Amino acid sequence: MRKKRLFHKKAGAVLLPLCLAAGLLSGCGGGSTDTKTEDNASAGEKVFYYGDTTFNAENDESDVNPHNGYSGWACIRYGIGETLFKYSDKMELEPWLAAEYEMTDENTWKITLRDNVTFSSGRRLDAQAAKECLDDLVSVHERAKGDLKIKEISADGQILTITTEEPVPALINYLSDPYGCIVDMEAGVSEDGNVAGTGPYIATEVKTDTGLTLVKNENYWDGEPKLDTIHVKTISDGDTMTMAMQSGELDAAYGLPYASLPLFAEKPYTISSVETSRSFFGQMNYDTPALQDEKVRKAIAMSIDKENFTKTLLDGNGTAAEGPFPANFAFGDDTVTAPKYNPEEARKLLEEAGWKDSDGDGYVDKNGENLTIRWVTYPSRQELPLLAESVQATMKEVGIKVDVNCSADFQSFLDKGEWDIYAGAFVCAPTGDPEYFFTTHCLDESSKNRGGYHSDKLQALEEEMKSAFDTEKRAELATQMTQTILDDNAFIFASHLKMSIVSGEGVTGLEAHPCDYYEITVDLDKN
Amino acid sequence: MKRDYTKLKCIILSILVGLLLLAAVFADHIVPYDPYAQDLEHALLPPGGAHLLGTDRYGRDMLSRVIMGGQTTIFSSLLLVLIIMTVGTMIGVFCGYNGGKTDTVLMRISDVFLAFPGMVFAIAVAGVTGGGIINAVVALACISWPKYARIARSQVMAMKEAPFIAAARLSGSGTWKIIRKHMLPNIAGPVLVTGVLDIGTMMMEIAGLSFLGLGAVPPIAEWGSMMSSGRSMLQTSPWVILAPGFAIFFTVMLFNLLGDTVRDVMDPRRNKRQKRKGD
Repeated sequence: MRKKRLFHKKAGAVLLPLCLAAGLLSGCGGGSTDTKTEDNASAGEKVFYYGDTTFNAENDESDVNPHNGYSGWACIRYGIGETLFKYSDKMELEPWLAAEYEMTDENTWKITLRDNVTFSSGRRLDAQAAKECLDDLVSVHERAKGDLKIKEISADGQILTITTEEPVPALINYLSDPYGCIVDMEAGVSEDGNVAGTGPYIATEVKTDTGLTLVKNENYWDGEPKLDTIHVKTISDGDTMTMAMQSGELDAAYGLPYASLPLFAEKPYTISSVETSRSFFGQMNYDTPALQDEKVRKAIAMSIDKENFTKTLLDGNGTAAEGPFPANFAFGDDTVTAPKYNPEEARKLLEEAGWKDSDGDGYVDKNGENLTIRWVTYPSRQELPLLAESVQATMKEVGIKVDVNCSADFQSFLDKGEWDIYAGAFVCAPTGDPEYFFTTHCLDESSKNRGGYHSDKLQALEEEMKSAFDTEKRAELATQMTQTILDDNAFIFASHLKMSIVSGEGVTGLEAHPCDYYEITVDLDKN
Repeated sequence: MKRDYTKLKCIILSILVGLLLLAAVFADHIVPYDPYAQDLEHALLPPGGAHLLGTDRYGRDMLSRVIMGGQTTIFSSLLLVLIIMTVGTMIGVFCGYNGGKTDTVLMRISDVFLAFPGMVFAIAVAGVTGGGIINAVVALACISWPKYARIARSQVMAMKEAPFIAAARLSGSGTWKIIRKHMLPNIAGPVLVTGVLDIGTMMMEIAGLSFLGLGAVPPIAEWGSMMSSGRSMLQTSPWVILAPGFAIFFTVMLFNLLGDTVRDVMDPRRNKRQKRKGD
């Protein structure tokens, strides 16, 4: 009996270290794959590490399949997919996978494709492949379907003919949106959301919220990619990314906090900056009784100090905005005017609207209730919390109380109607054409018209815009439309983003582009 | 022979903590600037000159914000300790005195809470209830009460069968009177010492929750959230994060030292030792 128990004790003593050893070994097993990739790196291959804040589900970029939400942005940004046309530095259309286009009538477009392009799957790009891709796009992607209004596509050799249901003047622009990346539908979409594109790099591993691995496309049609492997790492915390950049863990990074940019101002680092049409703006909720008063909206617009916000809080990395489009557009900020920061005037307007500080608590009130604004915003764009806190202080001066609700879960507050002003960031003209912003945000049927804004004048202008083919005419209409929403103070535009990409030692060919989504190209190199 | 400085130490530390509390109470009156007034023209000024601790990215005076933040941080941790001490002791006394099934059930619940990593639970609760310093206090209170319940319960159970309780009962004292007159005064010592020792820890946890964005919401001055918002400027404008950081460090240290000395002073064995020495 006693012996038996002794045996058990011994068995236990042996078992315990065994378990521990197994645990330790399994821990090592997880790490060993990492060391393997490091080993490859030292074997004379060019390996590049790129840090990015936005490749994650929060930004609706969960993989690289262009037909899935905003994932097309990742597809084009990392050089996996390419669109039929691309933008120049001045946001003018240039041929890319297509060689040229021709409009045969208002509803018919004839696009000639290049004949030297192959997908990474090995298939040659012809009109049939492009047709398959676009057919799938409009069948699964709501936004693309609404933009393109495609009735029929026919393929003949390298000639793609697109017929639309109604005139779509900006069709070529829309085809250049990241969702228009042409991918091989025969190869299909893998389980992790990977696709076969035509770009200089091929994704081998796609992990939502973590990053992806790219390898060189040996058969790229437009030159030889210079890097063998690129690791894109999603680092949502800006400070972590700053340190990763400083320690040399990353070769380049996009989305560093403004406060850390001065750290990279000197050699060996280089910063490439460009004005984009990404704008930070507040959207009014017309369901809030107080905001239905024109004077209150104007007073709010007048109590936001845009100049100091961009100069001090964004450290000069942006420009104060009037409307949705920066001044380098023909329909940009130079052509419209918004109320200027003027607390005095704002106070007067509030008084005219019947809001007075009768109880001496520093906030204006009416019928015994303070004027309180529920300001809903989200933190993944670092400018937004700064804007919220700045607005909170300047509005307090005027007597408006602002309750900031800054949450990654902002959508649920919007859905529940628990908001008065929603502040967000949006690339207002990703395709260089102005109509997009209005159709997404300002019209009765717009999906992002969250506040229920309605203007007869704007609806009428949009009717004209729909069928205007002349670029100058479109620009003029856009100016009028912008001025309309600014006169109504339905939106308050605070600033336009200056986008900055920091490159480390020896990195060349990484330039920020005004459209926001061309980052990794065939030119990228590291010496 | 070495003199015993414990009492002196206790007095000095009490005075220091008293000063800190006074500063927190009268924070509104002693701040040199309005801690919430933004002045973007004077953002990120280094310490010195008109702003002793410099200014933050909104041009707010750091010294004023640290003082004002002290009010938030210290008062919320005191409130938290008070809540868990009261609730924990009440539950503990109830369980220890009555015993039975309620005792078993309540103690198993407290076991569950004790087995849970505190901060993780607090983050979950604060995440569900949303931001705000009161929510952070509630979240931490949910997880921290069992400690006091355990202490109070064991003390009461040990005391329940003591002759003086039996005597009190025989002379006609009711339950309520026994608890109030005989038990609470006897368990007050250990509970209070634990409470004072806990203030520092609780302060760290509240600041920690605020740092994660689950406690105080901007623009409320609170040390944890001030550190969090200054995080990105650690390398470029370090005073923005160092000022609240040192404030937390000194305050927590002060409360911990006070807790230690209070424990020494209240320690019955120490008095005995001294008496023996006196003999």
